[in-house]
Amino acid sequence: MSPRRAIAATLAAAAAVATLPWLTSDFALSLALTCVMYAGLTVSWSMFSGVTNYLSLATAAFFGIGAYVTAWGLGTLPYALLVPTGGLVAAAFAALFGAAVLHLRGAYFAVITFGLGELVRHAITYFEKTYAHTVGRVIVDVPGSTAVFLTVLAVSAAAVVTALAVRASRFGLALAGIGSDEARAETLGVGARRTKVAGFALSAFFAGALGAAMAVRWTYIEPNSVFNPFIGFQTVLISMVGGAATIAGPLAASVVFSLLTEFLRLQFPYLFLMLLGALLIALVLYLPGGLASLAPAVRAWLARRAAGDARG
Amino acid sequence: MKTMTSLARAAAAAVLAAAGATAAFAQEPVKIGYAIARTGPWAAGAQVTQEPNYILWAEQVNAAGGLNVKGTKRKVELVALDDRSETETVVRSYEKLMGTDKVDLILPPWGTGANFAILPLVQKYGYPLLAPTATGRKLLELKNPYFFALLQQPDTMMNALAEYLTARSVKTVAFIYVDELFGLEQAGALERSLNARGIKIVEKKSYPLGVKDLQPVLNDIKAKNPDAFVALSYPPDTFLITGQSKAIGFNPKVFYTAVGTAFPVFRDKFGPTAEGVMGLGTWNPKSGPAAKAYFDAHVKRWNKEPDRWASAHAWAGLQILEQAVAKVGLDRKALRDYIAANEFDTIIGKIRFKNGENVSTPGVVSQWSGGEFEVVWPPDRATGPALFPKQPWK
Repeated sequence: MSPRRAIAATLAAAAAVATLPWLTSDFALSLALTCVMYAGLTVSWSMFSGVTNYLSLATAAFFGIGAYVTAWGLGTLPYALLVPTGGLVAAAFAALFGAAVLHLRGAYFAVITFGLGELVRHAITYFEKTYAHTVGRVIVDVPGSTAVFLTVLAVSAAAVVTALAVRASRFGLALAGIGSDEARAETLGVGARRTKVAGFALSAFFAGALGAAMAVRWTYIEPNSVFNPFIGFQTVLISMVGGAATIAGPLAASVVFSLLTEFLRLQFPYLFLMLLGALLIALVLYLPGGLASLAPAVRAWLARRAAGDARG
Repeated sequence: MKTMTSLARAAAAAVLAAAGATAAFAQEPVKIGYAIARTGPWAAGAQVTQEPNYILWAEQVNAAGGLNVKGTKRKVELVALDDRSETETVVRSYEKLMGTDKVDLILPPWGTGANFAILPLVQKYGYPLLAPTATGRKLLELKNPYFFALLQQPDTMMNALAEYLTARSVKTVAFIYVDELFGLEQAGALERSLNARGIKIVEKKSYPLGVKDLQPVLNDIKAKNPDAFVALSYPPDTFLITGQSKAIGFNPKVFYTAVGTAFPVFRDKFGPTAEGVMGLGTWNPKSGPAAKAYFDAHVKRWNKEPDRWASAHAWAGLQILEQAVAKVGLDRKALRDYIAANEFDTIIGKIRFKNGENVSTPGVVSQWSGGEFEVVWPPDRATGPALFPKQPWK
C-alpha cells in the first residue's frame, strides 16, 4: 500500500472507531480505550525502537510525565491543550535525555532508559514534597469518557499517520539505516546523533500525550501509579509480539493482546497470568518475527488459492 | 467481542441452570461485585485485609440461609475480578460491574489510590462504597455522597498517639515517614499534635517508598537519644526499620511503626523481638465476644489470623451493609441515605458516619505484648497494660 493510501485508510478506520462511544456500554468503551491506547504507545515505540534497534524502556517515564502535566495543569488550562503540552514536555525531556545517552547501545541503553523512569518518579516525588507539600494530586472536573476516548483515539491515529509518514521519508530511511548498520549510515552522510535524538523525542511525544489524555480517568495522580514500569514492559512486549519493525503488527497486536488479556482475566481469574505467559513463550519460540511475519505466508496462501481457483 | 460476551452469557446461563436445578424455588441471588488485587504489588495487603473477609462473609451469610433483604432471605453471589494492581484496570472493572453486569451491590477495592479512582463512578451509578483501606483527608474533601471511610483518619490516630505520649510524660520525639500520601498526612497530623502538647520534635525525616536501607538515618536518630521514635511506614519499611533498629541497638522508651505492625506475620517473623513494638491497631480477639467470634471463624476458614487493624474495619463494613440491606432492601439510594443517617453495631463497636467519615471509632495505639497486639490506648478500649518503657530488644 502506498503511504498516501495507508494514511487515508488509517483516518477512515479512526473515523469508524470514533463512533464507538455512541454504540457501546461504558465497559466496552474502556476496553476499546485500552486497545487504542496501546496501539498509540506501541506504534510510537516501534517508530523509533523497532526501526533502530535501540530498545527503550522509557515509555513509562514519558507516559508519567504527560500524566503529571495534566495533574498540574487541569483547572487552569483546558484538557484539549494539556494533551499536546504533555506530549511536548515529554518530547523535550526525551531530547535532553537522548542527547546525553544515545551513544549507548544494546543492553546499556535499555537499562538506562529503565532507570529514567525511576529517576523521574523520584524527582517528581521530591519536587512535590518540597514545594507543594504533598505527594499525589486529586483531579476533579474531568472530561467525560467520550471526550477521553476521542482524544486518545486522535493521539493514537496521529501516531500511526506519523509512523507512516516517517517511514516514507528521508528521516525514516536514516533511522532504518541506523538500525541496520550505524557506522555505515554515518559514512553515507546520515547525522546519526541528530537523527536518533529526533526519533526518540518524536516517539516520546505520543507517549506523553497519551499519559496526559489518560490521567483524567484516575481522579488521584501519584508517582507510584503513573510511573508504572508495567506500562513500559507491556508496550515493548506487544510491539515484539506484533513485529516491532512494522506498523500494522503492533497495531494488530495491541487489539489482540488487550482483548485476550481481558478475556483471560475475566474468565480465568486465577490462571490468566500463567496462560498469558505460556502463550507468550509459544509466540516467541515459534513466531520470532511477531504476528506481522505471518502476513507474507497469508498473502502467499491467498495467492495460491486464487491461482488454484483460476486453474480449477 | 461479540463471541466473548455470548460465551460469558452461555457460561453464566449454565451456572444458573445448575443452581436452579438444586433450589428450584429459590430467589435470584443477590449479586455483589468487586475488583481486588490477586496479582501485583497490592496483592499482599489486599489478600491479608480484604478479600478473605469478603469470601468468609458471603459463606457465613449463605450458610445462614442467605442475606436478609428487607425480610426475604436471598443467597449471595460474589462477582470477583482481579484488578492486577493497576488503576486503569480498577476503573474498567467497576465500569463492567456497575454499568454492564449491573450487580446489586459493590465492595471496595484495596488501597487509597484504587478507591480514589472509582469515586466518580460510584457517584455516577449510585452505589454506596464502604471502604476499609482508604485513608486521607483528601478523599473526604471530595464530599462524595456515596463514599464512607471506615478507617480512622490520620489526625484521629496521631492524636491518640500524642495523648499516650503525654500520659507517659514523653519529652522528645523523632519521627520518619514515607514519601506518599499516607506518610505525609500522618506526619503532618503527628507534628501538629505534638506541637499542641509541647512535646519536642528532635528529628523529622522522610524517605522514599521502596527504600532498602535506613541504617544511617536510624544511627543519626539514635545519637539524638529521643524518648520516643515513630515511623509512619509501610509494611516493607516497617520490617526494615524494626530489624535495623535492633541491629544498631536503638531502643527508645517508645518504638512505634505504622502499617504492617498489626499483621500477624510481624509477630511470626520477629518472634520475641516484636515484644514492646507499638503501631497502628484497633482491635484484637480480646476486644469483645463479637470480635472473638470473627477471629475464630477467620482462623478456622483460612488457617491464618486476620490483622489487628483494617481486617476488622473490612468486616465492620460488611456488617453495616448487611444491617442496612435488612432494613431498606437493595434500593441503593435508600441504602446510602440509611447508612449516612444511622448508627451500626460492628465488631469494633458502634459506628456512625458524618460526611462520609467514621466519627465513632477512636484513635487507638496498640503494642505487641506476649504474642498479642494489645490495645493500650485509649484506656476504655485497652485490652492489656502498656509496656513502658520498652524492654531491650530480644
